[in-house]
Amino acid sequence: MIIIFAVFLLTLLVITAIAIVRAENLFVAVMLMAIFSLLMAANFFILDAADVALTEAAIGAGVTTVIFLGALSLTAENEKKVELSRGVAMSIVTATTLLLIYATFEKPKLGDPEAPVHQHVAPWYLSETPKLIDIPNVVTAVLGSFRAYDTLGEVFVVFTACIGVLFLLSAKNPADKQSRRTPPESIGLRHHLIPKVVGRLLFPFIVLFGLYVQFHGEYGPGGGFQAGAIIATGIILFALLEGEKTALAAVPHSVMMAMVAGGALLYTMVGVVTMFMGGNFLDYSVLSSNPVFGQQMGIILIEAGVGITVCGALLAIFHAFAARENY
Amino acid sequence: MSMYVIVSIAILVTMTLALARALKGPSVYDRVLAVNMFGTKTVLLLAVVAFFYGRPDFLDLALAYALINFVGILAVLEFFQSQRNDDEEQAKEQEE
Repeated sequence: MIIIFAVFLLTLLVITAIAIVRAENLFVAVMLMAIFSLLMAANFFILDAADVALTEAAIGAGVTTVIFLGALSLTAENEKKVELSRGVAMSIVTATTLLLIYATFEKPKLGDPEAPVHQHVAPWYLSETPKLIDIPNVVTAVLGSFRAYDTLGEVFVVFTACIGVLFLLSAKNPADKQSRRTPPESIGLRHHLIPKVVGRLLFPFIVLFGLYVQFHGEYGPGGGFQAGAIIATGIILFALLEGEKTALAAVPHSVMMAMVAGGALLYTMVGVVTMFMGGNFLDYSVLSSNPVFGQQMGIILIEAGVGITVCGALLAIFHAFAARENY
Repeated sequence: MSMYVIVSIAILVTMTLALARALKGPSVYDRVLAVNMFGTKTVLLLAVVAFFYGRPDFLDLALAYALINFVGILAVLEFFQSQRNDDEEQAKEQEE
């Protein structure tokens, strides 16, 4: 039954994707992207990947729409018409599609326990997590401890991406200087009663829920990435309601930059400290006299680092887009 | 069990209808409303499937959507507000 649901949702996903490609009005494309993300999260969830679904929910539902709209306000409303011969591109895409469909014939069935991917390291993770780390959510154990190097890499990808976006957006085109008018101050939505009341009511709960996801990641779906995105969404909600200026007074640029760098630094420092205490880089067992407790402590610390970096990066990118409005 | 299946099918049908509205338009507001509708239905679907799987702790996800969905729609509101302000300013400039 579930598999039929998943196939149905995937069909809707393909329809939405084609519609996004064909949409000429960019606002319509942004709206369809929101639906795409919702469908994607539902699909992840039905395939039992709750942690991934939560990430998609945290990023896709709020932040991407906000950032896309921010980008849209800097550009034209409609897609530029370009006459291109699409023959070569179409033939390459068709050939790749056929190849991929051919490759799926050899693929093991969905959820097949004999599939190679379930024979490699996964059984070891499942059997050793209760002994070595003793937390119920194996995904957090894999991300935080067994594959901590990969997660460190991801944090630095977020860090680098944030710096790249800020660098691109802060570049000014000198030719435009003449035509630039002083941007009208963003007043937010505080003059609208319903958004104001509902938003103020929701804001504390969003931040509280973010903290819950952050610290409950060892027991349920969630962790630093999701928590960082959810808290950033809460603060973006505040910025939308009260205007740019108030939001920047609450969380100034210097704090954001300190968060982006500090989270990554915290993660790395945990690794360095474990080295000084006689273990390998990011081997948390040495952090405490009880190796299991040391592992848990290490995971909580690095998850905090991940959350701080992601939250700071999303906020910095949001403000970079919002501040460029009308330039 | 069959109750959950029937509810899921009903929600999937509603999602399809909302998607059809989002694809067809014709006005921008139809699409905004369709996206909002689609978000609500996703929350419901996640909740139903969580119970179907017998893992109500996955309700966290539905909760995340329920809290965050609102922000996207607010951003749309703010987008139209700033666009209208822009248009008014441009009209003023042209008058001058």
